[in-house]
Parts: sequence; structure tokens; C-alpha cells
Amino acid sequence: MVITNRLGATATAAAARPTEMLFTARLNNIRPLVNMLRTINFRPRASCAINSGGVVFTVEEAQSIVAQAYLRTDLFAEFNYNEQLAKEYNGEQIESESESERDAVEDATHVSLPLDNLIECLTLFYGPSGNISNSSSVGAHGGAQSTSGMISSGNPMGLRGATTAHLAFNGLGSDFELMLEERGIISVCRLATFVPEAPVDLDFAQFPVIQQLIIRSEWLRDAFNELDPTSEAVGIAISSTAPYFSITTVGENGSTEMTYSKDERVLDSFFCSEEQENRYKLGLILKCKYALALSDKTKIRVNQRGFLSFQFMIPTDADVSFVNFLYAPLVHADELG
Amino acid sequence: MRFRTLVTNSNLLLRVVQSIDKLAKNAILKLTTEKLHIIVITDVDSGLQLWSDIAVNALFSDYRIESIHGDEIYLEFTIDNLQRALKSAQGALHTTLKLTKKQGIPVLSLVIQNQSNTGRELILNQDVPVRVLTPLQMDAIREPLVPDSQVHIMMPPLNSVRSIAERMKGMGDRVAVSANREGEATLRVSNDLVEITTFFRGLENLTYDSSTQEPSANPTPDRGSGEFYTAVVDMKNFLRFLQSYHVAPKNIVCCIIEHHSLVFYVYIGSTGYGGVSALNDQTCGSLTYFIPVRQV
Repeated sequence: MVITNRLGATATAAAARPTEMLFTARLNNIRPLVNMLRTINFRPRASCAINSGGVVFTVEEAQSIVAQAYLRTDLFAEFNYNEQLAKEYNGEQIESESESERDAVEDATHVSLPLDNLIECLTLFYGPSGNISNSSSVGAHGGAQSTSGMISSGNPMGLRGATTAHLAFNGLGSDFELMLEERGIISVCRLATFVPEAPVDLDFAQFPVIQQLIIRSEWLRDAFNELDPTSEAVGIAISSTAPYFSITTVGENGSTEMTYSKDERVLDSFFCSEEQENRYKLGLILKCKYALALSDKTKIRVNQRGFLSFQFMIPTDADVSFVNFLYAPLVHADELG
Repeated sequence: MRFRTLVTNSNLLLRVVQSIDKLAKNAILKLTTEKLHIIVITDVDSGLQLWSDIAVNALFSDYRIESIHGDEIYLEFTIDNLQRALKSAQGALHTTLKLTKKQGIPVLSLVIQNQSNTGRELILNQDVPVRVLTPLQMDAIREPLVPDSQVHIMMPPLNSVRSIAERMKGMGDRVAVSANREGEATLRVSNDLVEITTFFRGLENLTYDSSTQEPSANPTPDRGSGEFYTAVVDMKNFLRFLQSYHVAPKNIVCCIIEHHSLVFYVYIGSTGYGGVSALNDQTCGSLTYFIPVRQV
């Protein structure tokens, strides 16, 4: 990597040659992107899939939770994905993969990159650390920001959110480039990229959906705040008879149970073809708190094998953006005999 | 050894002391017939040093000083103590500063005269314990010798630089500070996973050596004016300098001496920290921050 100081040399990739790069994009305001990335920032690294429909960032842990943030092209002021170059690049990739893996390769460019650092770079112009504004009542994720000891009130720079960004990526082996600009100050960031690991596919769609509902996120936030943190697991039960939807924990201090009626004001689009209660690791469920905090509504679905999907609908400039959290159950109801 | 003076501008003195508050616990006060110097040495070899001077007539009147060592007195003091003492002198009618002994211990004594609501006179004594340095110790304290710098440039607004540097610090413990003679400066940090370079443009270069206000001894550049000169310093030291926020965010000159150090000059005007360009504001002193290049 040649290191130069001249702005022209290091920044051209991001700004000047959109058609020659595999992927370039521009944002007039980085805040929606930063918020979306923060919702899934429970691990330092993320996989990134880019195609002409947009970008999907995926984070997984312990083969039990997969979180994805979907960034459609209309979230960006400009979006260029060179399918021709991608074919050449992905073509090389496909050579080295087995038959079964080839089927899993979608029509997209996949790369793994440091998510923590990406968010730190995007928030460079956010003003003094420790002054991160956050609409969440349940607090921001740790790991998304490094905070200094200096907490100051107000924002002397007055810069937050007015940052424009150019993104660029030219295939595995090259850095993921980010150029940020605000009031004449420009930062060029280069992030190391890695060969993406085989994606953990909890494959929700493999089994039919037996339960579904849409709930206003504020109700779910209240429930999450009541959950007993000493409990290992949280139980989610959906049934076609009362109580229709309940969330339970059993901890050192006793048990808690939150139930919801089928009232339209609370639950929307209710569907249940099979009664089931499933249990999930509480620690993993709580990782979706920030996504929940940003969202207006949450769609909850459970498939026949007890896999749980939360789809958070987050209002952004361009309509609604989606963040998905998918969970594997602790023990499936069937197996309890 | 005698030192006694009337303090006419305790606010200015307070603000200088507040600026250095975050740098270290202790500092040295060097008093001469012409100037008051405050010196902070965080680590003789690898740390930041601050050397400041203010003309005595910007701070004091009826200034009296006497010592066998050329009428110079060096006192070591705890910054927080002096800061608190000066704070209580703000708005006073009459303040005297003198070196004296209380209970066998040398102290800098502030005698602060105020008037209460009923018109009675109130006298407040604030004593700052000090350690008087011996001539041998005094000789050991010397301002760092710095070769002529290759580039002098006015810093961008300190607030911006500080908040950006604070966010960059998580990515590396050293920062490369660079500038050229075309008004451009950069900060760079890097580690295995990420490299960030922040560019500031439209800055003013100075073509002379501002510290002595004389033309530089070596004005002929050995590189093109667009080429950058770089000093790699500890991010911790750079941030310490940036966090001296009682200093005006403008009017700070950055000098880069490649492979040697970064030097920042802040000019103190008598009415505030307006620096040389403020109207009606005479330069009465300066703060000079020395940050040595990080030894690899």
C-alpha cells in the first residue's frame, strides 16, 4: 500500500472513477448508515454482500444468532455496482469452491471487514466522544465507539450528521475505502478486508412459518426492559387462544411473564397455525435492543423448527429500512417428547 | 531571596494555569526581573514539555524580586493548588503575591482584599506550598534545543482537531502530523485493520520563524512547496496539547521538525488569548509546547 499525503492520490478511488471500480456509493448524510450498522455491532467483524440491489451487512455469533442490516440502493445518493467486474471477480472465487458451496454463492460480491472500525471511521466528525446522541431509551451498544475521558456538554463543532461519505471497494485483496467530508475537512479511511467465512445459514425459510405477528416496537421495548437478566433463557409463546403472545423468563428472583392480547391496537397481522413455546438464550435476544429502539414496528415470525425471526422496521430518509435478527431455539418443543 | 508584587491581572494568570491543568500534577514557576515563566515537564526524554513566558508588566505592578542567582527564583508547585488560589482572587479589589514562609515551609502567599456587602474589608489568605529549587536544580532545567523547523503553519480550529483526534486515538497510539507549505496539514493513524488520514486545507503558512520573529536562518526549502514534512508523535502527548482548551482555538502555530519534534506556539494577548492579530491586544507572552518525535 503506497502511503501518500496528497489528497488526489489517496482519494481518487472513492470519488473519481465510479465506473472502473467494482463498487462505489455516496451518502449525503451518514447518520442512517451509522445507525443501521450499530444495530448489528455485537461482534467486531461483519460480512458484507454487495450487489445491484444494495448492501447487506451480516453478523453472526455462536451459530445461534444471525443479524442482518439491509441497505437498499435508495438509501444512498449514488450507488454503482459494476456487474461485469463482479462476474470476473466472483468467477475467480467460484473456481476455488466446492459444488455445494457454489450453490450458496449468490449473485453478489462478498467480503468480510472490521465493523467496529468502520463505525468508528464513519463517526469521526461526530464531535467530542461521549456526546453520542442516541434515540434509544435502552442505551447504545458498547463496542461501537471508543470513548475518551473527556465528556463535554454541547457540540462546539456543530458538525454531527452533516458529513457526506463516499464508499468504494474493488474486490477482495483491496481495502474498503471510505472518504468523509464535512466543512472542508476530509478524512480518508482504508479498512482491511478478509475472505468471508462460509456464511452461517440458519435457513429460516426452510420450514414453514407457523406463527407471525407485528407489534409496535414500544410495547416490545417495555417487555425487554422487564426481562429478568439473571435468567438464562427467555420463552416466547404464541397461541391462537389467550394469552396469544407471551414472553417469560425464569431467574434467581422468580419468574416474569408479559402477555399481550390480540387487540389490534397492540398486535397486528396475527397468525398462528400451530401453538408452540420456544426458548432462546436471553443474552443473544438482548443483542437486538438497539435495533428495537430505532424501529417503529417489529414483525415476529416463528417457523416449524422453532427458529425465531425479528424483523425491525426502521424509519429512514428513504422510507423504511429493515434489520433482521434470526435466532436458533435452545431446545425445540418437539424434542421434549 | 525576596519576591513580592501586586497582581493587576489575576485573570490572565489564572487562565494560563488552567491551560496547563491537564498536563501534569506539578509545574515550575520561574520568576525573573522581566518575565514569569511556567514550565511543565511531563517526562524529560519522551514526554511533552510546556514552556511559557509572560511579561511581568502584563500581570503585575510594583514588582520586586531579588535573589543571589541573578535575581531569578525557581519554585516547584502543584498546579491545582495555584489554580484554586487564583480562582478565589478573581474580582478582588486588591491582590498581593509574595514568597514567604509559613510554619517553616516556603509558600507563595496570595493576600486577597475584598469588600463585603456591608462595606467592611475582607482579607483572604491563600497559601500555595512551594519547593524552592537549588541553583544546581535550576541549571538542569533548560528549554529543549530545537533545530529550525521545516514548516510553520497555523492550526485549524482546535476544537475540530481535538474531537477528530480523540476519535482517531482508538486506532493507534501514535499519530503522524504532517504539513506542507501550501496550507495543507494532515493527521494519520493506522493499525493492522485500518488507516485514517484526515486532511485540513486552506491553512495559513508562516514564512518566518515566529518564535523569534526573525526570518528563518534557512529559508530555502529543500523540497517542493507541496511536499509534506512529518513528525510521528505519541497520540497521548498530542491529545494532551489539544486538551489545553482554555487556550484560544485560533492563532496557534504548528512547527514541524522532521524526525525531531512538533512545536506549537500559542500567543497570549494581554486582554485575552486573541494573539497577534487581535486589535488592541498586545502580545505579552507565549506558550510553547514541545512534543518529541516518538522513538521507534
